[in-house]
Amino acid sequence: MQGVVDTCFIIDWAKYRRREILNNIFKLLLIHEETLAQIKSPKAVEYISQLLSRDIMRLYPWSSSEEEMYIKLRDEIAADPRIPALERPDILCLIIAYKTNSILLSENIGILRVTQFHPVYSKVRVWTSLEVLEQAVYKEVIKVNALEDFIKVVREYEIDTKHIFSRKRLKEVLERVEKWLRK
Amino acid sequence: MAKKIIPPPELLKKWEEEDKEFREIRKKYADWNYINKQPPLIKLALIIYIETGDIYKAAKIAGMTIGEFNEYRFKANIPNIT
Repeated sequence: MQGVVDTCFIIDWAKYRRREILNNIFKLLLIHEETLAQIKSPKAVEYISQLLSRDIMRLYPWSSSEEEMYIKLRDEIAADPRIPALERPDILCLIIAYKTNSILLSENIGILRVTQFHPVYSKVRVWTSLEVLEQAVYKEVIKVNALEDFIKVVREYEIDTKHIFSRKRLKEVLERVEKWLRK
Repeated sequence: MAKKIIPPPELLKKWEEEDKEFREIRKKYADWNYINKQPPLIKLALIIYIETGDIYKAAKIAGMTIGEFNEYRFKANIPNIT
């Protein structure tokens, strides 16, 4: 499985105590150099260096045709206060995920919203960390015997990263995990 | 010039409600004691982040990268929400 990481996502994972989950799910993670340029904290820099040196992460070679896709997408999205500013590095991640048929790993609300209505980019599979943790259960990367075990994993993530998942989304994921556990 | 793609009204309404809910959560968790002790520009950026949840906007105001601003968000106990 291949993923594309955006800035906020990888910064959060650098802080997470169970960050090895990510490389146990994904064979390859792609990153754009403009995403990399946003990362300054020693912990995140060290984590990314480690992923790059172990060939789990690779810098994506950006091309001129992708630059055209970026300009088109940027111009297509109408300025609306309900779509938080879509900044270049995160739009690039969406385009890379589309072009490489990778899963976009993003915590950017604006990007998540674009994939809810854009006729082309709604085809991109987007996972936040919550979906990564959910998939870790299904792929048995983390051992979960009861729903409480999964809730504990999610809580640990929320504490380590100060990232909260919407209660509505969490409820939906808990229902799916519970169903899976019953099998 | 590319044709604008407008989200359907039901999505816009859903997002508006979501934004309101997330803003309240950020306000509730924020460590105002820490925020109030910060230099004016960082304090303003943290407040903008609480209001909008837009880390790019906040980082720009603070004159920082996303990664640098995120450390202040973390210390100010302002959750990122998705």
